[in-house]
Amino acid sequence: MDTLALEATGSKKAVNGAVAVPPLVPVQAPVKRKPAKKAKKAVVFFEVEILDAKTKDKLCFLDKVEPNATIGEIKSMFHKSHPQWYPARQSIRLDPKGKSLKDEDVLQHLPVGTTATFYFRDLGAQISWVTVFLTEYTGPLVIYLMFYFRVPFIYAPKYDFTTSKHWVVHLACMCHSFHYVKRLLETLFVHRFSHGTMPLRNIFKNCTYYWGFAAWMAYYINHPLYTPPIYGEQQIRLALIVFLFCQIGNFSIHVALRNLRPPGSKTRKIPYPTKNPFTWIFLLVSCPNYTYELGSWLGFTLMTQCLPVAFFTLVGFIQMTVWAKGKHRSYLKEFRDYPPLRSPILPFVL
Amino acid sequence: MLSKAAHGDVAAKKKKGPGALATAYLVIYNVVMTAGWLVIAVGLVRAYLARGSYHGLYYSIEKPLKFFQTGAILEVLSRVFLTWAVTHSVREVQSEDSVLLFVTAWTVTEIIRYSFYTFSLLNHLPYLIKWARYTFFIVLYPMGVTGELLTIYAALPYVQKTGLYSVTLPNKYNFSFDYYTFLILIMISYIPLFPQLYFHMIRQRKKVLGHAEDYSKVE
Repeated sequence: MDTLALEATGSKKAVNGAVAVPPLVPVQAPVKRKPAKKAKKAVVFFEVEILDAKTKDKLCFLDKVEPNATIGEIKSMFHKSHPQWYPARQSIRLDPKGKSLKDEDVLQHLPVGTTATFYFRDLGAQISWVTVFLTEYTGPLVIYLMFYFRVPFIYAPKYDFTTSKHWVVHLACMCHSFHYVKRLLETLFVHRFSHGTMPLRNIFKNCTYYWGFAAWMAYYINHPLYTPPIYGEQQIRLALIVFLFCQIGNFSIHVALRNLRPPGSKTRKIPYPTKNPFTWIFLLVSCPNYTYELGSWLGFTLMTQCLPVAFFTLVGFIQMTVWAKGKHRSYLKEFRDYPPLRSPILPFVL
Repeated sequence: MLSKAAHGDVAAKKKKGPGALATAYLVIYNVVMTAGWLVIAVGLVRAYLARGSYHGLYYSIEKPLKFFQTGAILEVLSRVFLTWAVTHSVREVQSEDSVLLFVTAWTVTEIIRYSFYTFSLLNHLPYLIKWARYTFFIVLYPMGVTGELLTIYAALPYVQKTGLYSVTLPNKYNFSFDYYTFLILIMISYIPLFPQLYFHMIRQRKKVLGHAEDYSKVE
């Protein structure tokens, strides 16, 4: 769910060595990024040409571009001449095989001459993160409830609209529903996304995963032949404590991460423990939100004693570990002073 | 059978030479695999000659077949699955002609394939082997797939009757698995997978054999 928005610093090696520095600006090496000197009277406009990264066809030519124009603004201009490529699906780069430039990058700080050549790649149809999250989380909420209420055609007809006689089944429904309601609310009110969009095909992939697993788990937990946990009330109580603890923990981390980032910005800072004890885990772990998430599902597995739930927990853990390692690596790359004691997801272990 | 092409082509594309130790290991591995499949082939022929019919052929090659299947951890899942989870597990299937069909197809394919790898590793690949590898599959693939599908199909009634490898509710792990349904899903999965692999191999053939005008020995 988190993507790695790795910083592309504007100060890259000079491109081709043939960099014409606009006159009237003191000659400086193009690799240094100094604040724009706007006290000049004469402003030299840039020309921007955009070529297709694969075919090298000239797609667009913009003249009289302000030197302090951002890539984001250039994308909007490009969009005007090619309405099917809205800015979110444009990848603009200096080199056909290079990394994408960021929307915030400023034209005159890039290693380009007064006629800048950019390469364009179509990222494909995009969909907003918020849309994806809302869809993929609403599914499990609704689907699980369908199994809980034993809607017809799932179990034998004599069980239609009956309820389980085991109280742990009711508890499990509450926990599962609470978890996804929490996620939906966080999507709407807590998270601040680095990227606005993701490729459209992701929504099919993600929904298949979430909805599929939700149905699989819910089928067994709400089954008329469900067997409650072996150790009964003790097991269920412990599981509930673990689950709730980790839900609060996960929420605390999400709030802490949100507060790292001012509204509307995409800045990245090192997260640190706050006054909230649930955030003290930042001392040991880079992505404690994933750590707590794993804990929640372990609690749910213990509560329901259901093998499909264990599978879901395992698969989720593998995926989150991959994400955590990536995030940890990009933290290390970006921040020299990153605390060395931290592990990606499991303290000292992983 | 299905992922064989994919694995085969991935391996064939690796032109960068491995280190001496790795090469030695791979050569030995491939020689052993070739030998193993030869043993199975010889076993088949001898058993047929001895019995005068195709029946009971499976038993004659059962041991080496099992050995060379499970010993090759790198091998394709479908082949291990067919051997153990279907043919071995369902006794009634072992006398079916369909078993002969896919075992023969695999055997010939594998002998060619492992010779191909052995020779490639030694940088001394006779064109004949390369040609065989990229041509025989045209018949062997459909043959093998047909044999596999027929075998799974033959196993179905017995699986349903005995509930082989199936788990039912209630149980303390709150889990169930229906092997019968699983086998049907496997059969259905052949429909999208097989044509993809088959046409991939055909495209590979055009590429590899298309511009090989000369009969040079070295790759």
